[in-house]
Amino acid sequence: MSAMKMYQAPRTLEEVMRAAGETGATIFAGGTDLMPRWSKEIVPRPAAVVDIKAIEGLSGIEVTDGEICIGACTLMSGLDESAALRRAAPILAEAASRIACPQIRNRATLGGNLCNASPAADTAVPLIALDAVVDVAAPGRAGATSREVSITDFFQGPGKTALEPGEVLTRVRFKRPAAVATWAWEKFGTRPAMEIAVASVGVIVEASDGVIERARVAYGSVAPTPLRGHGAEAALVGRRLTDETIGGCVAAARGEISPISDVRASAGYRREMVGVMLRRMLEDARGG
Amino acid sequence: MREVVEKVDLAFEVNGDSVRLAVSPDATLAEALRDDLELNGTKTGCEEGECGACSVLLDGKVVNSCLVLALECGGKSVVTIEGLAREGRLHPMQEAFVNHGAIQCGYCSPGMIMTAYALRLENASPTEAEVRRALEGNLCRCTGYRKIIDAVLSLNNGESRHD
Ligand SMILES: Cc1cc2nc3c(=O)[nH]c(=O)nc-3n(C[C@H](O)[C@H](O)[C@H](O)COP(=O)(O)OP(=O)(O)OC[C@H]3O[C@@H](n4cnc5c(N)ncnc54)[C@H](O)[C@@H]3O)c2cc1C
Ligand code: FES
Ligand code: FES
Repeated sequence: MSAMKMYQAPRTLEEVMRAAGETGATIFAGGTDLMPRWSKEIVPRPAAVVDIKAIEGLSGIEVTDGEICIGACTLMSGLDESAALRRAAPILAEAASRIACPQIRNRATLGGNLCNASPAADTAVPLIALDAVVDVAAPGRAGATSREVSITDFFQGPGKTALEPGEVLTRVRFKRPAAVATWAWEKFGTRPAMEIAVASVGVIVEASDGVIERARVAYGSVAPTPLRGHGAEAALVGRRLTDETIGGCVAAARGEISPISDVRASAGYRREMVGVMLRRMLEDARGG
Repeated sequence: MREVVEKVDLAFEVNGDSVRLAVSPDATLAEALRDDLELNGTKTGCEEGECGACSVLLDGKVVNSCLVLALECGGKSVVTIEGLAREGRLHPMQEAFVNHGAIQCGYCSPGMIMTAYALRLENASPTEAEVRRALEGNLCRCTGYRKIIDAVLSLNNGESRHD
């Protein structure tokens, strides 16, 4: 049995990166992914953890006309309760509000959801649909440097991200969607409460005179990472939402996902459900 | 068995009292409450965030105390089920649970009551749908939930003595 010998909660990013980089401390945000694994001994407790919640400027939601910028330590309950986010990017507020239960939403952070890199991470699908980027702070000789990573490049596999050891995800940013854009996000689980997605789909569509000018489609729990639906998008852009377009989009979606069978559902069921959710969303978008 | 490690000082507030403790860095808030402070009203069931038996308020927000490190609570305020009664009288939420038969074995009750209490701090007269949503993270293996929901809803019309 391993033991955790040190807990620190520094106020600066530099101290976090020093702890994480040099002494190998595990970055700790809400702990809702980390702590269940420790208590069940799925992974050994790390010797040291560094809590990032006391760092100034890592929490909060800034909505301007052009951009939305969210600190990594912003809680799911904060995303759910933000009236500004509900107006500007309801797809993300909705997904956050459907994570687990109040107890978890009061602790789970946006950054933790992304850095944990589960294919089922519920905020990942809306953020892919929103074309988000994340800011990553890296330890440098003259203090922290920052680099930008697109959300699709950030996810590299189950539990794997583009972060190097010691790097900290600091913010998530995306352009405010056009006021005319319609959106839908849905997750399908095996029960209505406390569900981890068997499959999820997010869509943002902008149309002009009935012709789709821009489309973003994303899927969760149906590939090694949350996935952008390039094929489904191409099947929509430049077209009207006819039965034929919707059928083509659904076929493209079913073809570009690579679900697996596990305790929650079979691969075939997941593929079927992605098609069903996407079809319903597109039919709703055109009004029936 | 866990390796014995050096304990660290922790100062925080529990049910309105200032408390100082020495805890090991990996102790959870649930462990500190139950093992060090002997506040055994807070239960643990799953220790992985699924059951809600360990629900307490941390700075006014309901959390699973099995998923909080004790050392995270330095300078913060915690309210447990033991903190609800006043001068030997149960809190109205506790009374409502008793009066509605919302308690059978009672194992889930402290967590249920803390979660329902937290809901009413933010929403004084929740709808049934809001109550059901608020209690999504609290499992009860006995009551079938109906009586629990009725108990929480009963406070919408009743008067509350403490707050
Ligand atoms: C009962 C239960 C139900 C759940 N239901 C859902 C659900 O419905 N949908 C869902 O998507 N998730 C769910 N989760 C998973 C979890 O709550 C979320 O993924 C949560 O957002 C994780 O955030 P955290 O702050 O708690 O992460 P932590 O546990 O603190 O960290 C997670 C990982 O990310 C790293 N990390 C955290 N922040 C940073 C950062 N800023 N920079 C670099 N690395 C970082 C940590 O080192 C760790 O590896 C559930 C968990 C539980 C226990
Ligand atoms: S013991 Fe904490 S949620 Fe079950
Ligand atoms: S009363 Fe027994 S678990 Fe709820």
